[in-house]
Amino acid sequence: MFVRFFKSFRCLRQALLLGMVGFSSTLYAQNCTTKIGAVLPTSVDWGRPIAATAQFAVDLANEAGGVAGCQVEMVLRDTQVDPKVGVDAAKALVDLEKVPVLLGAVSSGVTIPILTSVAVPAGVMEVSCCSSSTKITALAEEGKTKGLWFRTFATSGVQAAVGTMLARDQGYKSVVVLYKNDDWGQDISKLTVRSMKSLGINVTNSIAINDGQASYRAEVTEALKGNPEGIYMALYPKEGISVVREWLSLGGSQKMIMANSMKSDELKDSVGLKYLKNALGTDTASPRVESASKFVEMYKARFNSEPNGPGLANSFDATMIALLAMEAAGPNASGTQIAAQVGKVTDPKGTPITADTAGFKKAKEILNSGGSVMYQGATGNVRFDANGDVSAPAVAWSFTESGTKEERYITLDEVDAFMATMQ
Amino acid sequence: MIQHLLDGILVGSILSLGAIGLTLVMHTLRFANFSHAELLSVGAYAALVFDGLFGAFYSQLRSTIEPLSLTWSLILAILFAMIVTGLSAILIDKLVFRRIREKGDELSMVFASFGVAMVVRNLISLLFGLKSQLFSNDIAFAIVISRDPMILVKPDQVFVLIASLLVMLLFHLVLSRTTFGYALQAVAENPVLAQITGVNLSRMFRMIWLIGGSLAALSGIFYGLNNQINPVIGRDLVLPIFAATIAGGIGSVYGAVLGGFLVGIASNLALMILPSGYSPAVPFLIILGVLILRPNGILGEARA
Amino acid sequence: MIGLISYLVFFATVSSILAIAVLGLNLQWGNTGLFNGGVAAFFGAGAYGLILLGGTVQADHIGGFELFYPVALVGGILLSGLIALVVGMLTIRLRRDYLAIATFGVAVAFENLMRNAEWLSGGAQGMRGFERPFEDSIADPFVFNIIFFCFSVLLLLGVYLFLEKLIRSPFGRLLRAIREDEVAAKSLGKAPNRVRLTAFVVGSMIMGLAGGLYATFYAFVSPQDVLPTLTFQIWAMLIVGGSGNNQGGILGAFLIWAAWTASGWMLSKFAPIEAQLYTGTLQYIMIGMIIVGMLLWRPQGLLPEKLIVSQ
Repeated sequence: MFVRFFKSFRCLRQALLLGMVGFSSTLYAQNCTTKIGAVLPTSVDWGRPIAATAQFAVDLANEAGGVAGCQVEMVLRDTQVDPKVGVDAAKALVDLEKVPVLLGAVSSGVTIPILTSVAVPAGVMEVSCCSSSTKITALAEEGKTKGLWFRTFATSGVQAAVGTMLARDQGYKSVVVLYKNDDWGQDISKLTVRSMKSLGINVTNSIAINDGQASYRAEVTEALKGNPEGIYMALYPKEGISVVREWLSLGGSQKMIMANSMKSDELKDSVGLKYLKNALGTDTASPRVESASKFVEMYKARFNSEPNGPGLANSFDATMIALLAMEAAGPNASGTQIAAQVGKVTDPKGTPITADTAGFKKAKEILNSGGSVMYQGATGNVRFDANGDVSAPAVAWSFTESGTKEERYITLDEVDAFMATMQ
Repeated sequence: MIQHLLDGILVGSILSLGAIGLTLVMHTLRFANFSHAELLSVGAYAALVFDGLFGAFYSQLRSTIEPLSLTWSLILAILFAMIVTGLSAILIDKLVFRRIREKGDELSMVFASFGVAMVVRNLISLLFGLKSQLFSNDIAFAIVISRDPMILVKPDQVFVLIASLLVMLLFHLVLSRTTFGYALQAVAENPVLAQITGVNLSRMFRMIWLIGGSLAALSGIFYGLNNQINPVIGRDLVLPIFAATIAGGIGSVYGAVLGGFLVGIASNLALMILPSGYSPAVPFLIILGVLILRPNGILGEARA
Repeated sequence: MIGLISYLVFFATVSSILAIAVLGLNLQWGNTGLFNGGVAAFFGAGAYGLILLGGTVQADHIGGFELFYPVALVGGILLSGLIALVVGMLTIRLRRDYLAIATFGVAVAFENLMRNAEWLSGGAQGMRGFERPFEDSIADPFVFNIIFFCFSVLLLLGVYLFLEKLIRSPFGRLLRAIREDEVAAKSLGKAPNRVRLTAFVVGSMIMGLAGGLYATFYAFVSPQDVLPTLTFQIWAMLIVGGSGNNQGGILGAFLIWAAWTASGWMLSKFAPIEAQLYTGTLQYIMIGMIIVGMLLWRPQGLLPEKLIVSQ
């Protein structure tokens, strides 16, 4: 009975997908495939687009002829945001599918056990789009990641600093901070509160927003106390929608500052653009090159919307860098060999490479002739430090009819200088 | 303080509606049905579909009823959604629970209900996607009742509260004034005895699912009206609803109503005492307290 | 081939660890009739206790005592027992559903405390800084996994034999007597609540052992490890395997965990590429259907309780 159900379901799903741009449009020129593993929470609202974006990057690479002479197949597993499930999936990908590279996970609580009990012991490279935990930096400092670990999600420090900078520039005297009660949210709120206070901005309250509560009314009522002039939010879209709507309906200020996770069309549509005129957001910046807008165009062509959503640009870059490193390492390379090539594809002295099919093709030529390239991706000129962490320039954005637009570009030097003033 | 109390009552009314159905099922069918909250999602999505349909065919139905954000088409959709949800509850019983009831024990039912909840929730997310949806994108602004202390109330919430109370009153009248109500109570007390006195048991069970399902639908729709609709509504609300049912005393409809308000108020007042990070735990700690004082819930009776 | 063995060893290790927790629950529910809805808390106490006691010094929270591994493991187990004792004294007289929701509340509160109390548990970031015993001296990770697998299986076997002996002892007989007819047991001068409390604490300590092994294997624990999902998984394993039967519990642990993980593997392997993004959701539907299907097929569990006549 179950099989029948699944078959009929498959037809239904295919019918539904007819309208979309197909995943299978790629022409398989080569007859070999090389696998890349992905452990991402596809059963969660914000996780599925992250996985779709990773697949998008893989498809672009395949259009450019694949990596190391083979077409790339991304084997995707759901983590269910359950560490046990994520670790098992990663182990199966490494042992049964023999993937040399793992993309993921999103939650640090899943990423870390995968790193410590699967990736590092097996010598597999792990690239996460979205895990922000400082515990991983500590692991790397102790030498326990063995150079196999990378992430394209900039540390929360820059985000917090830029959020504070915006509050200062807008002249907000008092701000209330609302944050998602997970590792990322706790971290970013702590940093934001500290930096705002050091600039003399009055932080009226800092309120944790837990996942899946029946109502956020009480939290918002609490946030309204002390009549803060502005509100800083580090939330995910689902809770963000409920909180912002509740906040506005209770007469809260429209002077909002949002972390990158709230750069979402879903949020904009559910709240309404007319209430978001004074809302500013922070994000890591795209490079000051043509390719950045090209990435947005490509993304629009594929998904019919702007790449707005938590972790999308990061997921794209994580996948692209992994694929470029696989190309650089050549056929049948091990995870350690691939990880060793990451510096070569994010070399600041290398030839700049755009994040599209043409760029990938060019990168292949240069890498095959022994050169190095500088990948300019959706989150900027990604460069990793010794711990696999990135720092990137920042951008302030606001909502528009079609999505979001850039308000201001903040270079890394500016951010660093600003952070120095707060010490 | 007053604001928190008021908010708690408003949230509580939604939980109460969900808890009534759950308490009926838990008492008559003797198992903790963890898939009950998924009926809230079924109801909310059914209303979303019907609302869209009615609005598309009769555009005059799309006008809102001031000062609410409610439209006439949604009111109509609520009725249809309640029926659809009640029928789905009967269907689930027919497919799963009745078969297990015949040969298994209570715990098999409980874990089958977990399985059912997983299937229903994920079927919904396959059909409707994982994203949040709303009945109306407009934001209904709160009305200032008093400035000092600051008390704000949203018209929609007042409507939800009044509608919930009316439904509860109606249900109370049915229970206490009609033969059907007596039969229902008799089944709840002792199904075997009720059957001997001529109550058609399987018909009664169907009625219980129908009532429980339609009240759950109402609860889900009201939740959607005040917050948002997404496939995990059921998962998010299952625990507060269970807490309400058990704090009120299993089998007591009035206890369920009371329990709903208790949980709603408790989780709102909690923020005054503890940092908001701890708020998910607070309703349960209060229930722990209630149970230590009254081991069978506020209005529950000991059952052998 | 070596890959397959490596994976199966890994899978069997996690299954064995979960099976230990299932055995703990079986003592509470299967033998004593205690509806513990807070498995995750007692499992988690073992895990957090172990890393707290056995881990290296960390900047942002207490702990880092670097105790000898077995001492840290026992410490975690004792922590579970202590929490169970306090919770049990408050709630043991509650019946079934009420006990379930009360203990469930304890688990939610535990997760909440671990998520928020950064000084204690590292907050939402979780706890690391734990060195897996002998990992440095065993250079090959595959060999390490095999040794750890043997260690887990030995402990599973030990717990199994202990419980089999226990339920055949006069104490075990007393547990079932209280489960079946409390008044009769009382009339014979027994103190049901004290006996229940003992079973509750011992069962919870077994769960704590499972938690400790889990944290050893991953060298990390975070609030995400102690969400209510875990409680549900352990319960589903017991009910599908057959409550009241220790062999059933172990079988259930392996089967449910296999269904849970293999469904994802099969979907990633065989679902069409267009459906890959939806496999997470499909996997949940499959797991739900397997559980419902097994209960429809054998509502009493795969290996139902055997009536034990002890002489």
